[in-house]
Amino acid sequence: MLARRSLARIATQSSPLGAAPKNARNMATLREIELRLKSVKNIEKITKSMKMIASTKLAKAQRAMQSGKQYGLANSEIFQHAPSENPAKRKLFIVVSSDKGLCGGIHSSVSKATRRAIASTEKPIDADSPIMVIGDKSKMQLSRVLGKNLAMSFNQIGRDIPTFADAAGVADLIVKSDVKYDGISIVYNKFISAVSYEPDVVEVVGENALKESAGFRAYEMEDDVTKDLAEFSLANAIYAALVEAHACEQSARRNAMDNASKNAKDMIDRLTMQYNRGRQAAITNELVDIITGASAL
Amino acid sequence: MSALRLLSSAARRAPSTLTQQRRGYAEVADKISLSLVLPHQAIFTSKDVVQVNVAAATGDMGILANHVPSIEALRPGMIEVIESGNASKKWFASGGFATVHPGNKLTINVIEAAPLESFSSEAVRANLQEALKVAAGNGSEEDKMEARIEADVYEALQHALGSK
Repeated sequence: MLARRSLARIATQSSPLGAAPKNARNMATLREIELRLKSVKNIEKITKSMKMIASTKLAKAQRAMQSGKQYGLANSEIFQHAPSENPAKRKLFIVVSSDKGLCGGIHSSVSKATRRAIASTEKPIDADSPIMVIGDKSKMQLSRVLGKNLAMSFNQIGRDIPTFADAAGVADLIVKSDVKYDGISIVYNKFISAVSYEPDVVEVVGENALKESAGFRAYEMEDDVTKDLAEFSLANAIYAALVEAHACEQSARRNAMDNASKNAKDMIDRLTMQYNRGRQAAITNELVDIITGASAL
Repeated sequence: MSALRLLSSAARRAPSTLTQQRRGYAEVADKISLSLVLPHQAIFTSKDVVQVNVAAATGDMGILANHVPSIEALRPGMIEVIESGNASKKWFASGGFATVHPGNKLTINVIEAAPLESFSSEAVRANLQEALKVAAGNGSEEDKMEARIEADVYEALQHALGSK
């Protein structure tokens, strides 16, 4: 009597759990769930520690960005007073990204901005304007669509906080290369807030354009230092863009890893629930077997 | 000591007042907005100061308010900033550019600068010897040139430390 009642109860309980499959298959899915649970937990550990690393790096990167930004502003002051007279037809694009991924869409946003700038109809420029890329990620993206424009690429920069020596090395190679251009545009990610970055373009006026500019002629010079100035300000502008892009990348990576950890946590919760239910269903099934066996006697 | 410093700063100022007189800006007692920035540190950002003395490639110069727009390459040497009255701060800079913009604005971009107190004269001497050795050695032309520049910086630094 008692057995039968409990049997009835079990029967009504087990039905809302969904159709309990056959015993053997149930065990297999339990094992599968367990494995998945384990791997998701491992992934969560990785994303969590990546987030922690990015957070500590972000603080340093942001400090470097503050002073680097001031440096860039002081550097570009002269370009505001001496703008290029006739818009450059053949521009050199320097795209600032980095070698590492797992940081949201910041690499593709600079690539997109570069593509837009080249295709732009407001300020038409030569379709075969050269592009130089700092960082492998954007290089891969740009080589697919603008492969023939790629003139040079740099990597291994931006792993840690960029130094002036990095920027000077890049500027040196650009100056030494025999790529022809009238003006330079640096495409980089601008840091707006900890959760928002925007691709931005900063213009560097070259030596010849500076000499032609009326604003530039207002400045007094004892010796002709235009060439030195142009090279120095190119290095400075690259430096400012590098540090800002680096801060953006760390911040984006922190956010991306934060989201990934959250998603992993959700997944773990869901899988744990599924696993526990499955186990309970298996136990119940075994009990049913025993009880039916006992009551059949 | 302070009298001495006053004397030396007066001596430094002498050539600048000459140029000021020539251009007829001497009577303007205003302040100039200064941005003195390093890649890794912003020492001044748009701060109003009375006078800035820099070691330009063409000679030492003092910059007062309403200076003519000009571009000066800097050689390794002291940058002295007089914020108000006689209080001045000094840095040794390795080189860069000082640009006076229209609108009473001065920007100085230097690659490296530090107060004189933070240099050790022994280290300067040792590094100078090292640089001179490389410059006189038989490395590539580029290496020798770099060492020559390095030696110039150390010589200027030694001079600045000696005359402190």
